[in-house]
Amino acid sequence: MPALRELQRSFGSALLGGPLPVEVDAELLGIYRNTCHGTLAAALALSFPAVHRLVGAAFFEACAQAYIPIHPPARAYLNDYGEEFPAFLGSYGPAAVLSYLPDVARLEWTVNRALHAPDATALDVVALSAIDARDVAMLRFVPHPAVSVLHVNVPADAIWRAVLEQDEAAMAAIDLAAGPAWLLIERGIGGVEVQRMSERSGRFAQRLCAGQTLQAALDAEADGEHAAAELNAALADHLACGRFTGWQVPPSQNSTKEKVS
Amino acid sequence: MSEPHAIVGQASPIPAAAGIGLRFPHHACVLEAQPAVPWFEVHAENYFGGGRARHALAAVRRDYPVSLHGVGLSLGSAEGLDLAHLERLRELVLAIEPGLVSEHLSWSVTGGQYLADLLPLPMTEEALEVVCRHVQQAQEVLGRRLLLENPSTYIQFPHSSIPEWEFLAAVASRTGCGILCDLNNIFVSASNHGWDPIRYLAALPADAIGEYHLAGHAECTLESGRVVRIDNHGSCVAAPVWTLYEEALRRIGARPTLIEWDTDIPAFDVLLDQAAQAADRLRMTGACRARAA
Repeated sequence: MPALRELQRSFGSALLGGPLPVEVDAELLGIYRNTCHGTLAAALALSFPAVHRLVGAAFFEACAQAYIPIHPPARAYLNDYGEEFPAFLGSYGPAAVLSYLPDVARLEWTVNRALHAPDATALDVVALSAIDARDVAMLRFVPHPAVSVLHVNVPADAIWRAVLEQDEAAMAAIDLAAGPAWLLIERGIGGVEVQRMSERSGRFAQRLCAGQTLQAALDAEADGEHAAAELNAALADHLACGRFTGWQVPPSQNSTKEKVS
Repeated sequence: MSEPHAIVGQASPIPAAAGIGLRFPHHACVLEAQPAVPWFEVHAENYFGGGRARHALAAVRRDYPVSLHGVGLSLGSAEGLDLAHLERLRELVLAIEPGLVSEHLSWSVTGGQYLADLLPLPMTEEALEVVCRHVQQAQEVLGRRLLLENPSTYIQFPHSSIPEWEFLAAVASRTGCGILCDLNNIFVSASNHGWDPIRYLAALPADAIGEYHLAGHAECTLESGRVVRIDNHGSCVAAPVWTLYEEALRRIGARPTLIEWDTDIPAFDVLLDQAAQAADRLRMTGACRARAA
């Protein structure tokens, strides 16, 4: 008689396509396998609705069948399931002709993250003014968990929007050779919002979200007066839109400050 | 109101009345129309994140008692509980102040992989110890009593040595947890394994039972010709399950009763009608008991 841990290991592996545990009837195990696969494939379809529409239900199901045994969820929280799906689509032979598919999937994953991210309170801009002027350069921001910056090689945002809105005119107008785009994804009052940024603002936002200091992000992206003005405006916009929930400055001679609201 | 078996939670108790399992397609309708439903139950994991879903649940909670029904804690996993999952559940319980918190007698996680189904446990002393340890751990972390639901199963393990009803009763007596008596699950498992559903019901400790579940199931013919009942929560409560519910009301008494429907979710009116059918039976129980007294 197998110990519980071994029984569960072999049962789990059989659900994901491995050999049957000797003590289990194949046909009855199939009922559990159907539920397991059906639930996980449905979770993927919910998180990647534009990919689902682009490839069709049957092709999507085949992708899910191939993906699930390689990347089963690590957690019983299916809103978090599918992080590796965009990269998987990029390496999935039958989808290779759809060169834009992985970028659309990456966008959908960040949209999904924005949809389900925990709630958080935006930082209090007034409190920022209390920072010692010498410390401002060393400021690091904590991004809101629903905010992401995404760099795509094709106009994935235009494809995503046209597919979900079933806007055939917009779909026909898409130019796959239009080149890369920088996208800001966040949760607004009416739902998740995706907007374009200039390359400079996109890189700047990506640096800030990655926890680089304000000075480092400005130094890297502000090459000239015009650029500095653009980045200052972008920073003001991020603060006004509540894209940061906190800030840190390193300990200085007379103060140690940290504020995460 | 005489509700001797209403279970008191931290804030709003769940009344011994017919509630409805609330799913996403009905959020807007419930928030706008404020239907006369005594309480709602939701799947806890659907609200682990923030944003629209969490706001909707908080809004529903302002107007109704809410019960949290977990489907992913995997109390029967030999490798132990996922503490991050338990912490998320604790956070949700603190935020929502549910009248009841329940989970399943099953497992879903092995080797750090979540298998997205409520999987069957062998009914052994080892599994009993594992489940009791995890129920106790969850009750300690959550700071409250759990209800443990009897599962629908399709497989019995040859080395099982404890009848499922005795296993449930033992978990309740060792851990102090309550039992969520799912009458559809009793009927489905009893049909699949040749058990007597009345005997199952009679063996459960009445005082531990804190809630009933009612749902629909499907009858499915497998390739071998074998007929299996599958608990898919995708149709009206079946006639024999209503009969079993009436039997439970007679033997055990009135308890909070939930209509569950998770696949092919119908218009909200259909759920209201199912709940009204449960409410009629609950009322008759109350009337009979009053006459007897």
